[in-house]
Amino acid sequence: MLQAARTPGLNLYTYSDVEEVSGFVGNFTVKIRKRARYVTNDCNGCGACFEVCPAFGYNEFNEGMDSRRAIYVAFTQAVPSLAQIDMDRCIKCELCKGACEVDAIDFDQKDEIVELEVGSIIVATGWDEFEPPTGYLGYNKYPNVITQLKLERILAPNGPTVGHLARPSDGKEPKTILFIQCVGSRDLNMNSYCSSGVCCMISIKNSKLIKQHYPEADITVAYMDMRAAGKDYEEYFTLSRKEGIKYIRTNISRIKEDSETHNLKIIMQNTLGSSGLKELEYDLVVLSAAMVPAIGVESIEKILKLETSQDGFFKEFHARLNPIDTKIPGIALAGASQGPKSIAESIVQGRAAASSLARLMVKDKYRILLIRASVDKERCAKCGLCELNCSYDAIALMDDGAEVNEILCRGCGSCLANCPSEAITLRYYREPQYEKQIDAILEEI
Amino acid sequence: MAGTIRAQYPATLRPIRINCSGRVTPSLMMRALGKGADGVAIGA
Repeated sequence: MLQAARTPGLNLYTYSDVEEVSGFVGNFTVKIRKRARYVTNDCNGCGACFEVCPAFGYNEFNEGMDSRRAIYVAFTQAVPSLAQIDMDRCIKCELCKGACEVDAIDFDQKDEIVELEVGSIIVATGWDEFEPPTGYLGYNKYPNVITQLKLERILAPNGPTVGHLARPSDGKEPKTILFIQCVGSRDLNMNSYCSSGVCCMISIKNSKLIKQHYPEADITVAYMDMRAAGKDYEEYFTLSRKEGIKYIRTNISRIKEDSETHNLKIIMQNTLGSSGLKELEYDLVVLSAAMVPAIGVESIEKILKLETSQDGFFKEFHARLNPIDTKIPGIALAGASQGPKSIAESIVQGRAAASSLARLMVKDKYRILLIRASVDKERCAKCGLCELNCSYDAIALMDDGAEVNEILCRGCGSCLANCPSEAITLRYYREPQYEKQIDAILEEI
Repeated sequence: MAGTIRAQYPATLRPIRINCSGRVTPSLMMRALGKGADGVAIGA
C-alpha cells in the first residue's frame, strides 16, 4: 500500500466512495466522493491531536476492544497517514486545533466530488467476517466466545493488548483454547458455501502462533473437515499436529458458561470415535466465522450494474473458464470480491485482472461483433420498453427515438422481442431469417 | 441443456440456435405452432 502511494502516476483515493459510473470500456466516467476528513493534507500524522481530544468511543479497527478519540488515524499503518475527525463523535471543542503544530485542522472542510475519466475498472471490494447471530454458540452472550477477527486483533502487536493473549472476561491468559470451524459456513441456514479453506488455515496459523508464545497452552480445533488445499498447506497442518495442537472432528451440541469463572463448557461428540457425548471445559472459544461479501457492496453492484452469484459475491464471466472478467467489458474482479479466497489466490487474481484489462487497453481499438440491435427511428413509438428491458444499459430513449450504444450492446435481442412497434432488428438475426428456418424445419411435417 | 447432463434430445426435436432466450418473440413461437409443431421449448 505504501509503495502504491509512492508510485508516480498512481492516484489513491482513500476515505472515498464511488457514487456514479457511466460510459463503457475505454471511456468510463467515475464520480468519486472524497469524504471530508476535516484535516488537510498538511497533516504529518504526529498524533498530537489525539492526546488532547476528550471525545472517546468504540474503536472499530480493534473490534471495539479499546477506544479511540473523535480525531484519529484509521489504524497504525494507514496510508496515507492522515488524521480524520469522526463528526458523529466530535464535540467541537477545537482543542485539536490548538494542539496541531502544522495547522492542518479545518472544520469547514466539505466533501469533494472528483470526476475521473478511466478506461477500465477492477472491482476489489474484499470481504467481511460473518457476524454469527447473538446466542449462536454463545456469541455475544458469553464474553469468552470471540470471533477469529477479534483474536487476530488480540494477537496483533498493535492491538488492544499489545499482542498479549488475554481473554475478554478477566484479561487473564487462557490455558485451554477451542477453535470452532465452519461458523456460518457450510450451513444451509446461514451460508451454504465453504470459505475456501481460509478459516481452516487461519485457525492453524493462530493456534501455532499461540503455541509458540505459550507452549503450555492446550489448543483444540473442532472441525467439520480440515481443508488444507494449497501449496505447503497440508505440510503446515501436519506440522501443527506435531506441535501438539489437537484436532477433533465434531459437531458442537451445546455451549454453556460457568457463571463464576466464565469458562465455557462444551458438549460435543467426536464423530470419528465411539465415545459418545463429552463435556469439555475451555477458557476461550474462538469462532472461525465465514467470509461474506464486504458490507456495503450492494451500492457498487448497483453503480456498476454487476451481477452477484447466489452467495452474494460478484459474478464472474464464467466460473471456470474466465473467473476474472465480468460480463461487462472493461470491468474485472480481483480477490474476495468474486468469492472467498486466500491472500495468494487474491494476488493471482489481482494480477490476472490487471493484465486482462491491460490487454484491452494497450490497443487503441476495441473490436465488437456486428451482431447488435439497430433501431428504425421512423417506426419507434418512443415507449421506452427497450430501455427498461435491456440488461446491459445499452439502449436509451432519446428525443428522436431509442438509440443503441453498440459497444455496450451484447446482441441478445431482448429489446426487439419487447418492442411493440417492431422497430428494432438484430443484425444477422432478423425476424425473417428465423421465420425461414422455422418454415423449412416444419415443411417435412 | 441436454448436452451438459449427457442426455439425448428426442429425434423429433428440431433446434434453432438463438443469441439469447430474450430474443424469442411471441410471433416466432406462434408461427412454429401454426406450421404444425406440437410444442415450442425455450432452453436457456
